[in-house]
Amino acid sequence: MMDVLALLGHGFAVAGTPQNLFFCLVGALCGTLIGVLPGLGPVATISLLLPATYALDPVGAIIMLSGIYYGAQYGGSTTAILMNIPGESTSVVTAIDGHRLAQQGRAGEALAVAAIGSFFAGCVGSLVIALAGPPLAGVAQKFESPDYFSLMLLGLVSAVVLANGSVFRAVAMILLGLLLGLVGSDINSGLTRMTFGFLQLSDGVNFVAIAMGMFGVAEVVSNLESKGEKKAQIAQISSIWPSLKILLLTKFAVLRGTLIGIAFGILPGGGATVASFSAYALEKKVARDPSRFGKGAIEGVAAPEAANNAAAQTSFVPLLTLGIPTSATMALMIGALTLHGIAPGPMVITRQPDLFWGLIASMFIGNLMLVIINLPMIGLWVKLLNIPYRMLFLVILVISAIGVYSVNNSAFDVYLTLAFGLLGYILRKLDAEPAPLLMGFVLGPPMEENVRRSLIISQGDFMVFVQRPISLVLLLAALALLISVALPFIRKRRVEVFKDEAAN
Amino acid sequence: MKTKLGLLAGLVILASTSLASAQADWPRKAVTLIVPYAPGGYTDAVGRITARYLEKALATSVVVENRAGAGGIIGTAYVAKAPPDGYTLCVCSVGATSVAPVAQKTDYDPKKDLRPISIVSTIPQTVIVGKSLPITSIPELIAYAKANPGKLNYGSSGAGGLMHYSVALFQVRTGTRMTHVPFKGGAPATAAVVSGEVQISFTNMTDALPQMEANTVRAIAVTSVERSPYAPNLPTVAEAGNLKGYSAESWNGIIAPAGTPEPIIKKISDALAKMVDDADVKKSMAAAGATGVFTTPAEFAKRIDDELAQWAVLVKEMKDGK
Repeated sequence: MMDVLALLGHGFAVAGTPQNLFFCLVGALCGTLIGVLPGLGPVATISLLLPATYALDPVGAIIMLSGIYYGAQYGGSTTAILMNIPGESTSVVTAIDGHRLAQQGRAGEALAVAAIGSFFAGCVGSLVIALAGPPLAGVAQKFESPDYFSLMLLGLVSAVVLANGSVFRAVAMILLGLLLGLVGSDINSGLTRMTFGFLQLSDGVNFVAIAMGMFGVAEVVSNLESKGEKKAQIAQISSIWPSLKILLLTKFAVLRGTLIGIAFGILPGGGATVASFSAYALEKKVARDPSRFGKGAIEGVAAPEAANNAAAQTSFVPLLTLGIPTSATMALMIGALTLHGIAPGPMVITRQPDLFWGLIASMFIGNLMLVIINLPMIGLWVKLLNIPYRMLFLVILVISAIGVYSVNNSAFDVYLTLAFGLLGYILRKLDAEPAPLLMGFVLGPPMEENVRRSLIISQGDFMVFVQRPISLVLLLAALALLISVALPFIRKRRVEVFKDEAAN
Repeated sequence: MKTKLGLLAGLVILASTSLASAQADWPRKAVTLIVPYAPGGYTDAVGRITARYLEKALATSVVVENRAGAGGIIGTAYVAKAPPDGYTLCVCSVGATSVAPVAQKTDYDPKKDLRPISIVSTIPQTVIVGKSLPITSIPELIAYAKANPGKLNYGSSGAGGLMHYSVALFQVRTGTRMTHVPFKGGAPATAAVVSGEVQISFTNMTDALPQMEANTVRAIAVTSVERSPYAPNLPTVAEAGNLKGYSAESWNGIIAPAGTPEPIIKKISDALAKMVDDADVKKSMAAAGATGVFTTPAEFAKRIDDELAQWAVLVKEMKDGK
């Protein structure tokens, strides 16, 4: 415990440098901005900014990118409450009761509870990373190739189980991602494969091109397609500061939401959206009078907002300790770390203490910044909704083209981005989520590398995957997850959760 | 006719003087230094140290441009095809210059298309073995490998890289056989020796040093021709194993496109000759784990020729062996 405090102190020294404070602020501002704007999500924004972080040092880059992620959780609730337009999928449930409260003239209360609940959950979530990270990484250091393979398999299986919508489509997207990951050089022979003679593909498809194309460009295109911009009624904001009574009323809701968020953030494939839905459902269940929900129950704002922010923080745990992304955003973070020459995994905590502890400390600072950004300055963010999207998207496209070119000074990558933008748009039309594709693309190459290395060392004996205890446990967990998705009870619940979301 | 000839002669003279003056006032604009690897890596660090020094020495700006991909082949090919006017140079490395052209298809012939100027830094490889193995020297390694053919696993940074070929060469020269386990990069291969997943690796000194200090692996030799100042107690593989001429050393050197005018080559070479003694450069090189080096263009060219010959023999033997 003392160790953790000392290391956290070191982290605050790293995060507290003027430079890193600045990146933290930029991340928090960017996150709030895109959180407020319904068209742009954190995945698209982080993929667009990925090349720009190239010029920064890795600590500053990750601090900024993660600030965007949890900042969006704050910003998303603002429009959800005031205008019934959830800026992010994670604040869809917030809109249900939040907007009702706003209509009753209690917008200020709802906003304050959302921000303070998020702040509390964010701080607890960061503390969880600090406490759980090092022991988990200690376990992970015992990992050898077969264990890594089984871990990644578990990651892919849970990505399917917890993905939105059709299981069939999620599997198809993962397979497509795995196929894309095969392009490049064969690890054992060094020969190129599936490069169609393009030397530029011999190191594999550029991650930034895929991410920007599938998320950035495709999102811009589909946003432009929806005609007529929504001009929603903006509710008036009354007093921002909630009375002590309301804060006390919501303290258990915030606590429950935080715990749910922490659990879902750590689970692969879970993430902030599912966490906020589950937190809302739980509040409804434990409430003495469930009929208040949907008519302006303050707990219906407090719990999901706490949950989505806690999950946003704790989803960094598997990333930083095991190198496993639990969501598309975390897959992008892996890309960002790799761009800076840092292999995500158990070594990060010991080899890059500045990065690990600096990031955690920056989360505390960033959450505090966000409360300040979001509460007193709320009017400013609401005004932003008047910017016409046509202009915004033009700027985004130009910046992303420059960005992707600058990574390798390669025009080929710009064409590649366009091609993936087109593919991403088509997949959207087919209701196929691009997130599992990105997971497959990120996890595929290391999975292949580890399975082949395991087999070289075991001299072709497949039993190596069940002989090692760590690997066996992970494989059994993957199997259990697969069985659970087949069970009717869970399948029904899963559909329900996402039907709720679709209905909103 | 006569006037036409005269005119032509005049033009030729004019052209040659303008060419000569172009060489004399080189550099008149910014020089681009291509780094054929991603920013943040080792070659990138050496490239940026060199660029910073050349900016002062040549009194012009030197812009570092990363053109990464295909193990350095993309950036090296770009420089091989660049106009030979002294404004495009490369911080090339041993892999794309001396190994790749004999091991795979490249768009350039290092002997014809590249003009070496000077090696600026070298890193030897260190032979490290897992602590659980009863091996403390190169002769013991040879004996152990001979007694257990194919049983020792060695980690490399990937197929076709120097960490792979240096062991392949060692096996050919000693008549031993070990199993190749490729990793993605030298650092994970080194970590695998620490964890015991593989038993041995010929790994970069930069990756090996921290583990040697932490006493998590046993270092038994270096692969360079001479001993390394970073670990003077370690013998070279050549002296310990009685393998004359065995050399596998990672270098970075400044290379221009073939056909770059001699006066420009000389100007750069003179600047690099002074760079090796610069105190700031020495400090930054040491921080990157490198040793600053200077060679004349002729020495550098001969080194590449020798390496190409050495790896060509190896690649042929590896192919025949299959």
